[in-house]
Amino acid sequence: MYLGLKEMRHEKLRYSLLSGVLLLISLVVFMLAGLANGLSNGNREAIDNWQASDVYLNQNANETLSASQVKLADQKYIKGNQVAPLATLSGTLRTTKNAHKTNVSALATSRKGFIMPKITSGHRINGKNQLIISASLKADGYKLGQRVRLGTTKKTAKIVGIYASSTYMIAPTVYTDVATLNRLKDMPVTSGDQQTINGFVAKNGAFKQSNHGGLQHLTMATFINKLPGYSAEQLTLNTMIYFLFAIALAIIGIFMFVLTLQKQALFGVLKVQGIGTKHILAALLTQSIAMAVIGIVIGLGITVSLAQIMPAGLPFVINWPQFGGYSLALLAAAVIGALLSWRTVANIDPAIAIG
Amino acid sequence: MTAVLALKQINKEFGHGHTAVTALKDANFEVAAGQFVAIIGPSGSGKSTFLTIAAGLQTPTSGQVLLNGTELATQTEKARLDYRFNEIGFILQSSNLIPFLNVTEQLKLVDKMAKRPFQKERAQKLLAELALSEEATAYPNELSGGERQRVAIVRALYNDPSVILADEPTASLDTPRSIDVVERLAKEAHQHNKAIVMVTHDQRLISHCDVVYRIEDGVMTRQA
Repeated sequence: MYLGLKEMRHEKLRYSLLSGVLLLISLVVFMLAGLANGLSNGNREAIDNWQASDVYLNQNANETLSASQVKLADQKYIKGNQVAPLATLSGTLRTTKNAHKTNVSALATSRKGFIMPKITSGHRINGKNQLIISASLKADGYKLGQRVRLGTTKKTAKIVGIYASSTYMIAPTVYTDVATLNRLKDMPVTSGDQQTINGFVAKNGAFKQSNHGGLQHLTMATFINKLPGYSAEQLTLNTMIYFLFAIALAIIGIFMFVLTLQKQALFGVLKVQGIGTKHILAALLTQSIAMAVIGIVIGLGITVSLAQIMPAGLPFVINWPQFGGYSLALLAAAVIGALLSWRTVANIDPAIAIG
Repeated sequence: MTAVLALKQINKEFGHGHTAVTALKDANFEVAAGQFVAIIGPSGSGKSTFLTIAAGLQTPTSGQVLLNGTELATQTEKARLDYRFNEIGFILQSSNLIPFLNVTEQLKLVDKMAKRPFQKERAQKLLAELALSEEATAYPNELSGGERQRVAIVRALYNDPSVILADEPTASLDTPRSIDVVERLAKEAHQHNKAIVMVTHDQRLISHCDVVYRIEDGVMTRQA
């Protein structure tokens, strides 16, 4: 401890440079993590809000919601605390005079379905041809009472409620009931239980009997991983983060090794005087931990400040437990990096200090 | 007088067979508390080998090294490290000071390693004895060669070892400074009742020593 910290204080430039390198690495790790979280959140925020555990799709849909078609009546195969039908449309929300156009993810369920979001202004859907919209769409010029079109048909619906911002597939959401969505889509059947939907969402759901009626069960985790592009995005960003841990380890390891080689004579003198490998390694560890802590703390500080001034269009989410885990991983990389010099330190022959 | 450090019938060979080199031949040596002993010899005579064996950094091919009556060769590596820390003080050729610690911190480090509080009064007393009170907060690169060696003497004495081994402590000094350092070593040996062993090739310094050993081609002889 004493030796390590005293040396850092005496060689401020040398050690602040390495702290700086670790700061940059931790900054990139935290920025990538924040962006990965932002993208992930953009894809799945609406799903997370459902707090559901199971999804039921057509067994031939390759586990993809938009590729799945089932009938409302198929709900009879599923039992559970709460089961809600789900239909989606990725389309353009536009006002009747095309004054505003925004790409949205439209989600339809039953009017009292458990996945219907809580209204913050306006009222719940209580009649035909009503929509509720994500609060983020207010900024795009949409407001209560407005008549809007969804997709490319001429059919209109009225905005009756607004709920806290949510996104699905990186687009803001709008919710409606199944019949309204089918009417807006110009589907042939727009009432009754023969309407086409994409699937069902449930809390603690299960099949009632061995005949599944062509439905396939997915856990929520599987469903999210199968969102188009989701795994690829997350895998790419996370792989970059994991590589950065290895790079941090290599940088600390190489730097500490070079310093150790430079200080062989000094370490020889220490060993002659009875200050052994254990104490020298403790000094190296103290230094790399101190540098890593300095780098990580400043990196976190910069990340948090940058998050405040980022444009709204850049999805960025700080997940503290995850950032804590990444900080520990960087710290571990620093510790392992310092330990790579163990053999070199242990092999320094104190006799080199004499003669 | 009982010997603090004694080497008995020490032989040290490097290599095997035809290429074997004998660095020390049947060397006998002893030093008692309060004695200032010089070992003098030309370079390549085996002085450094003697010192590394006396310090337990190398084991002899045969013979015994006794430090306070305990044989070093039979100790574990860890025990020898502790021995060196507790019982032997070193003064090395140029400087055995740590570049990033100031004079006082060099001494504090000894206490840190021994896990005890800093002995402030002892430090001040020893620094004053070697005329270093003014330099207490100076870093090694701010000191002259003579001052550095005096700090090394303080550092060696500070841990109150049984024996101090000095390896050419005047190698980088001019004559007046060399004589100053050697006079101080002699004084410390007598005043603190320490056994001090100085290895040197400088004939002019031996008048200050109580006993002189000569070493040539690995053969050690005690001078009258």
